[in-house]
Amino acid sequence: MAGYNKVNIIAQATPLIILGTFLIYPVIRVTVLGLLSETGMPFAESIAYNWSYIEFTILQAVLSTILALIIGLPGAILLARLKFSGKNLVRALIIIPFVLPPIVVVVGFLQMFGQYGIVDSALMWILQSSDSVLNLATDIPGIILAHTFYNAPLVILLVSASMERINPEIEEAADLLGADAKQRFRRITLPHIMPSLIASAILTFLFCFMSFPIVLAFGHGSYRTIEVQIWNAFRWADYGQASSLVIVQILFTLTLALTYVRLGRNEGERSSPTSSIKTTTLRSYKSSEIFLIILYFILMLFLVAGPIASIIRAAFFDPISKMYTLDGFLYLFNTDAGGGFRPLVNSLFYSGLATLLSVGLGIPLAYAHRSKTQILPSLASMMVLLPLGVSSITIAYGLMTAIAVPTGLNINPWPIIVLAQTIIGLPFTTRSIEISLRSIDSHLIDQSDSLGASSLQRLFFVELPLLAPGILVGAVFAFAMAIGEMSATLFIALPQNFTLAVAIYDNLGVRKFVEAGASALILVIVCVMAFLAMDKVSEGSVGGAL
Amino acid sequence: MVIIGVAEYPVRRNPQILIGAAVTIVIIIVAWYGVVTWWKPRFVIYTYSSFMEWGDDGAEVVLERAFASFEEKYGIDIDFVILEGDANFIVSRLNAEAANPIADVVIGIDNILILQETARNVLEPYTSSNLGQINETLVNLLDPDHYLTPFDYGLVTLIYSMNTINTTTHPQLANLTFADLASTELSSALVTEDPHLSSPGLSFLLSQIAVYDKILHEDWTAWWNTVKNDVDVEEGWTEAWSAWSSDPTKHLLVSYGTDPAYSAHYLGTAPDTAIAPFYYNGDHWAWMQVEGMGLVKNGPNPQLGKAFIDYCLNASVQQEIALNQWMFPVRSDLTLPSVFQYAIHPDEISLLNTLLNSTEIASNLQNWLMQYDTVMTPG
Repeated sequence: MAGYNKVNIIAQATPLIILGTFLIYPVIRVTVLGLLSETGMPFAESIAYNWSYIEFTILQAVLSTILALIIGLPGAILLARLKFSGKNLVRALIIIPFVLPPIVVVVGFLQMFGQYGIVDSALMWILQSSDSVLNLATDIPGIILAHTFYNAPLVILLVSASMERINPEIEEAADLLGADAKQRFRRITLPHIMPSLIASAILTFLFCFMSFPIVLAFGHGSYRTIEVQIWNAFRWADYGQASSLVIVQILFTLTLALTYVRLGRNEGERSSPTSSIKTTTLRSYKSSEIFLIILYFILMLFLVAGPIASIIRAAFFDPISKMYTLDGFLYLFNTDAGGGFRPLVNSLFYSGLATLLSVGLGIPLAYAHRSKTQILPSLASMMVLLPLGVSSITIAYGLMTAIAVPTGLNINPWPIIVLAQTIIGLPFTTRSIEISLRSIDSHLIDQSDSLGASSLQRLFFVELPLLAPGILVGAVFAFAMAIGEMSATLFIALPQNFTLAVAIYDNLGVRKFVEAGASALILVIVCVMAFLAMDKVSEGSVGGAL
Repeated sequence: MVIIGVAEYPVRRNPQILIGAAVTIVIIIVAWYGVVTWWKPRFVIYTYSSFMEWGDDGAEVVLERAFASFEEKYGIDIDFVILEGDANFIVSRLNAEAANPIADVVIGIDNILILQETARNVLEPYTSSNLGQINETLVNLLDPDHYLTPFDYGLVTLIYSMNTINTTTHPQLANLTFADLASTELSSALVTEDPHLSSPGLSFLLSQIAVYDKILHEDWTAWWNTVKNDVDVEEGWTEAWSAWSSDPTKHLLVSYGTDPAYSAHYLGTAPDTAIAPFYYNGDHWAWMQVEGMGLVKNGPNPQLGKAFIDYCLNASVQQEIALNQWMFPVRSDLTLPSVFQYAIHPDEISLLNTLLNSTEIASNLQNWLMQYDTVMTPG
């Protein structure tokens, strides 16, 4: 038994060693060397110079979070409270934005809300104007709307899940005691969902704080977040400034991430999965309320479904010639140097490998979380959280200088890209596996032991099948994160390593809109298909991973 | 009874075979990809994305034609690695790789970038034996310390498409000043490039600073303050060119004085692109950009790198520059194509470079860029 434990600990420590080598060491190295290098600005000067960008980073994240909460909260209440057929379908569809790559969302937003986009064209027609009337897919409105697109669904999922567990007896008691709807909401519902509201606010803030492709595309270089400034500083070879910003960013994000995890732990202990909220049908509402509900539904269709659907138009409609064309798809089959075939193959290959690696690392990491040793669980959760709080650009630059350059891999850097994509998706993969690991009945394991299964047999035929839904969810998140990853890949890749996500950014830059649109459509199809496959197997337990 | 028992509880085989098969398949796929993309040690040149890309044949054909005899003589394959973005990114990449460089030569660092410490840190000075074939003023304008050897040069200036605006509709284009350009009508039609990331963008910023600081003796940031909400600043030259050529509201572009020649070449007639150099004190002014080649410090093949730089000054390479790179070759003994009569030549114009000496640029560049950022940051 002692020998088995040793094997176990080694298996759980291996991913920690791998992460130490490919994440901790490169990031610390690049940060420390940057501060010591004396090329570029020293710390204090960097902070002073970047002060307005730091402020903007916080401001846009706060605004995005507020808007996501305002838009998400009614949806969460409706999803928990309302009884309707197809509820599971809606719950599944709501997760789709989360698996879509940011640069794809940019394409959808440009087409839906941008200049001569669908909304603009409609307004031009109504006002009989020949000029563009409204362009929301640019500057601050573009950044905040796109962030809301991502995060309102997140709020809906997290808050509705918590609200569904309200014990109906408490509400009935309040009814009997004469509380009206407003009082019930303030005294019962709100306190109950508060932890999940705070958790989703922190997560939303964190994502917006770190957001890169959306700010880069809609900010046009004038609106810059810390992440964009880190990217710029590395491109200007101003290592002092880059390192200073990395430290500021890590301080912010780690504080938030730790708060989030602490909240999650408390939530997990208190919830009682048995009770479920009293649901009502649409008919029991007043007609004015029904009107509001329908209005809300239309707003969500507009904001969330609109950009996704308009990617289809973006793949065929060229806004420059104002004509429908198949050039975008010809581009995808073009095997020449500047064609889209190579990025397509690269995308599938890199993200496929990154998915395998993520699962391979995620399973032992999830086990390490419950290890009985002193140090493994906290070490594992710290390692897994780190990619959430460290900029992808920093990870990419660290991997370049610490791993690629000494090994000469920088001339053919695809393994580095796979590593970066794996690391960036790992928090989500590990968390979904960990969640399903928690729900395994330990008696089953004991039984297989007493029936004489070898440890390998036990792992593969008892534990892994029980874990399968969690692993699959984790795999799809890993895949979606990897195939949509743009920042680190853009930084590391030479033209022959371009992925579709990078090619989209590149094509948008030179205004090859249909080429970008067709590539985005392919990514949407791939991500949605992966998601549907996962949803079928995991039976709708996907949201918990967030 | 035993038979039924087996059917109900099928004996699971040991999973080793299954794992083995899966691992083998993955290894085969990865190995196949690795072999297909395997990088054989070659001779690496770093350059930027539009290098030799704008001719009739495309970069691949041109580079093959120009360098075939070099490859044959030394028995090597030249790998032109195109780094996404403009020259600044090449410098930062070389810095990142300084511990173990893979490139031997870099093409595209210009007479402003080389003034930065970070660029000099990664290059090795080299005086080419073919330098005698180049006009000495070019060598001195680029880099008297020979960290760089001139490859080509051109004038950075404003261009416009005559189909949309011209000197009849806008007479000020003939003798353009920055004050003219600050009008909402012209500034919202202007596309330029980010001076942090793009060499023509930086040339334009320095042009503007030279005019305001040395000719007008005014605060240069005031002009940017006036235009900051209207002017379109794109990431690099390629992006700016696309915006200018496809957006019907954009008429003016910060580009090169050779663009009318490019336009004439493709139209087969007189050009429809014209240039609008700045006009002050009775002279037309433009910024001269000299693009250089540098030997990478501690590169793997220094002798080959030097031979390559020498070779780039041969006629076989230099004669490709005019019609593929749309710059002037640094060798003055070559006959330029006839369409270059439409290009503006350096001897027809006053150089803004003469107003800002290199010491002044070197000591102020970072400050200027920071001031530019302060002005251009919204809010």
